[in-house]
Amino acid sequence: MKDGAMTAKTTGGPAGQIGQDERFAAVERVMARFDYQPHGLVEVLRAAQEAYGQLPRDLLVAVADKLDVPLSKVYGVATFYDMFTLDPVGETHALICTDPVCAVKGGGDVLAEACRHAGIDAPGGTSAGGRTSVRAASCLGLCDQAPAALVDGRAQVDLAPGDVPALLRGEASPARLQVRGEPRILTGPIGRLAPTDLAAHRAEGAFEALAKALGQTTPDEVIAQVKESGLTGRGGAGFPTGLKWAFARQAPGEARYVVCNFDESEPGTFKDRALMEGNPFRVLEGLILNAYAIGARTGYIFIRGEYPAATAVIERALGELYAANLLGEDILGSGFDLDLEIRRGAGAYICGEETALFEAIEGHRGHPRAKPPYPTQHGLFGQPTVVNNVETLAVIPSLIEHGGAWFRQWGTEQSVGLKLFCLSGHVKQPGVVEVPLGLTLRELVERFGGGFDGEPQAVLLGGAAGGFVGPDGLDVPLTHEALRPLDVPIGSGAVMVFNRSVDLWQVLESLAHFFVHETCGQCAPCRLGTRQMLSLIDRINLGAGSEGERDRLHRLGQTIRRACACGLGLTAANPVLTYFQHFEPEVGRPG
Amino acid sequence: MIELTIDGRAFHVPPGVSVMDAARANGIDIPHLCYHPELSTPGGCRLCLVEVEGRADPVPSCQLPCAEGMAVRTQSEQLSAMRREIIDLFVSDHPLDCVICDKAGACLLQKYAYEYGVSETSYDKHIARSLYQDDNPFFVRDHQYCILCGRCVRVCEEVVGASAIEIVGRGFDSHVATPFDGPMIDSSCVFCGSCVQVCPTAALMPRSRLGQGREWDLERVETICGYCGVGCQIEYALRDGRILYAQSTPGAPVNGEFLCSKGRYGWDFATHPDRLARPLIRRDVAYRLGLTDEPWELPDESPLDTGEGVIEERFVPVDWDTALHVAADGLARTVQAHGPDAVMGLSSARCTNEENYLFQKFMRAGIGTNNLDHCARL
Ligand SMILES: Cc1cc2nc3c(=O)[nH]c(=O)nc-3n(C[C@H](O)[C@H](O)[C@H](O)COP(=O)(O)O)c2cc1C
Ligand code: SF4
Ligand code: SF4
Ligand code: SF4
Ligand code: FES
Ligand code: FES
Repeated sequence: MKDGAMTAKTTGGPAGQIGQDERFAAVERVMARFDYQPHGLVEVLRAAQEAYGQLPRDLLVAVADKLDVPLSKVYGVATFYDMFTLDPVGETHALICTDPVCAVKGGGDVLAEACRHAGIDAPGGTSAGGRTSVRAASCLGLCDQAPAALVDGRAQVDLAPGDVPALLRGEASPARLQVRGEPRILTGPIGRLAPTDLAAHRAEGAFEALAKALGQTTPDEVIAQVKESGLTGRGGAGFPTGLKWAFARQAPGEARYVVCNFDESEPGTFKDRALMEGNPFRVLEGLILNAYAIGARTGYIFIRGEYPAATAVIERALGELYAANLLGEDILGSGFDLDLEIRRGAGAYICGEETALFEAIEGHRGHPRAKPPYPTQHGLFGQPTVVNNVETLAVIPSLIEHGGAWFRQWGTEQSVGLKLFCLSGHVKQPGVVEVPLGLTLRELVERFGGGFDGEPQAVLLGGAAGGFVGPDGLDVPLTHEALRPLDVPIGSGAVMVFNRSVDLWQVLESLAHFFVHETCGQCAPCRLGTRQMLSLIDRINLGAGSEGERDRLHRLGQTIRRACACGLGLTAANPVLTYFQHFEPEVGRPG
Repeated sequence: MIELTIDGRAFHVPPGVSVMDAARANGIDIPHLCYHPELSTPGGCRLCLVEVEGRADPVPSCQLPCAEGMAVRTQSEQLSAMRREIIDLFVSDHPLDCVICDKAGACLLQKYAYEYGVSETSYDKHIARSLYQDDNPFFVRDHQYCILCGRCVRVCEEVVGASAIEIVGRGFDSHVATPFDGPMIDSSCVFCGSCVQVCPTAALMPRSRLGQGREWDLERVETICGYCGVGCQIEYALRDGRILYAQSTPGAPVNGEFLCSKGRYGWDFATHPDRLARPLIRRDVAYRLGLTDEPWELPDESPLDTGEGVIEERFVPVDWDTALHVAADGLARTVQAHGPDAVMGLSSARCTNEENYLFQKFMRAGIGTNNLDHCARL
């Protein structure tokens, strides 16, 4: 930590009963890196989980002692995040995705076969002797190569039950990047340049925007260009980016922070992974420009816990940037200092919500905070903070290079610019697609996705938090204004296509499971309502559902949508409500 | 001052006050389960949602600062419908055991279920928690009744500073726990019972009252705690003259909602057979003064020995006037014979500050000595 947000402590207390071996030394090193400050807790527990394959009780006692955090809080954090386990996981630990796209592509069979092969009764178990543990996982951001799994950090894809022995050895097909589109501005170098070859990227103009900004553009002018561009956030909420930066710049504070939100956990979404694994310098340049614009000296890249490959790429990229004086002190001789730090999540979709993300970085359970105050006033460590999505940041360098107006050559008045979409499900060539806003779903799939695979029945747009459209929605342009009457958002850019072979109620059930698993539980209507949504969908799927139950589900959905604190609750009922709207419009209508 | 209207009535409140607090201060009760006036407001129950003019969605009033010109509605058909839905959800996770529940009559969930006419959930019943923890002499934790309002966790952290408990797990499977779900005694709990005090349901209950009667069977007596000079107000709940449990009263000027473990749980002396209920005078003195016919000699062994029957043998019960007279007389004679510095005063931490002040005044100005001390120094 370079910023002055916390006072330094030099050493923690005694280590308790835990053995002083190499594993403990690994955990101790992480604590030392954080000066034994409590906010390092999530990273410390990640190190512990990696070293011990579990979080042993004595270790948690020692950590509580050394970081001076009440043991109850440490226990609360250890039980909040999916990647933390109090009991040991297997020597081989397999996470197999069961979210909608993998589910319709046979992920359930892979999971069952993995359990059978390992000799485990049900997912969640560990085989005798602790050899193998198998878990059902939420979407792993590999939906274009479904079914997918993560085994000891190795992403493996296109799985069939027959691949299980290879999968558990880590030798099934490795994940790849599949990117298409026109024009390829944000994704241009992906697949063409080595992701962390700084010289190659600079030869194509990377960091020229930064040099220009530091040399001849004031922070206010940078913000003016971002405002001028009409860029809105690509993380789902769609807030105007320039305005957000201006708020944070004006807010009083002792320090300011920028955060790159790379928690990408929205089912059906994998564009940020493509950018970070394939073209990280563009995103990092955007983040540095963001820091310059608002006057931040410290920035964080919050990476989804299940993205170890991307984490490694970013670590290398940051090393290159420090070595080239594009980070650190007096960047390019401009007098501007900036440090960027990586923070890894530990398995919690809710931590993509910006205030829950702050809580995770501060070492707490990922409970979203009440808004207002907004992050631009009172964000990370209580200071003005800008959180931006990976894709949003990837746009920034071009706005400085070409001027904000340049971005307006694409899209419409209300839906400006280029956008990455994540094509998955029943399309012939799934993958990330970079296009101007305003194409229809049909154009998107036919021009860049190789066409539909089977007759399309429904598209889930925007992920689990998004909504369904039916076949009549395929010719609606992908703009905010055209989609508004259908009550579906562009959201994260997930486009999950389901053909006629799919039972949409099974998809609804899988999405309901997702929310039951991912709600933080703070709000009663979200904690209890998502559980009851699942219960009603189960009943309907068992054929026990009456019309009354469909109406009940509809009413429950509306309550959850209006009564909850954060975006998760706000959107948890979207799939159900849009399903009724477009497929069973008589439900929930009086008379 | 900020001017706003709540349910059409205009109010002036200082800046920084929440709509919930402003409403309560003016006699408007907004439904709430997680809000507690002494604690932070993370806003989880969502019952306190109100409508604010100009805002599309309802806002939790416990988190909403009053603002100039704000127009708030705490009641509307839509709000009632939403609150009813939320209570319906709470009840789907809460056994409606009201007919056998000790908390009936004081339970907030029951109150709102009654007010909003929710006799049972319209959903499947999914009770998330079933743990019953009876691991200490003071309170039981019956998790099936817990509504995860978090008040207990916040009072323990924010007021007591013990941080013995936390919400653990995630989502539907969360529960309130000590580290590793161990017994209370292994946690940093100081057994102050503040969590029990603020729990709106029967999830945390004084052990001593279980099965002993329901709210309306209990008589309540307000008094001042006798343990120390702070003088906390205590309310004893009694049945047939027996104390069942102690609690603080929210409006108590000194202690508000809070008590320490002695005040809350240390009341069994009240009806203990060894408790001194009348002043006693040593029998040899009483004999000399003609207050008893039975003589007695102070033995050589320790006069503090308190075996079976010893008190009755060595002391004579008298009324207060007599006792004070004998004491005053003894003091006066000693001072006259040997001077004021021949006596010393030792006062008690169980007396109030005012009583201690008077006592030192009496010793210094009345008797004329500075030989004075206090048990809290020992
Ligand atoms: C439950 C939930 C999960 C979210 N996950 C992400 C995420 O993974 N990545 C992201 O950029 N934004 C996510 N968001 C949105 C963020 O809160 C925030 O709006 C966004 O990061 C702001 O960046 P932008 O303006 O560039 O979009 C999520 C929101 C919610 C409510
Ligand atoms: S809406 Fe759901 S996820 Fe969001 S804070 Fe409330 S309980 Fe947590
Ligand atoms: S009794 Fe007091 S210290 Fe113990 S858990 Fe309750 S509030 Fe915390
Ligand atoms: S035990 Fe009581 S105070 Fe604590 S969360 Fe449960 S209902 Fe609330
Ligand atoms: S990786 Fe399985 S649904 Fe996304
Ligand atoms: S009282 Fe405001 S949300 Fe519970």
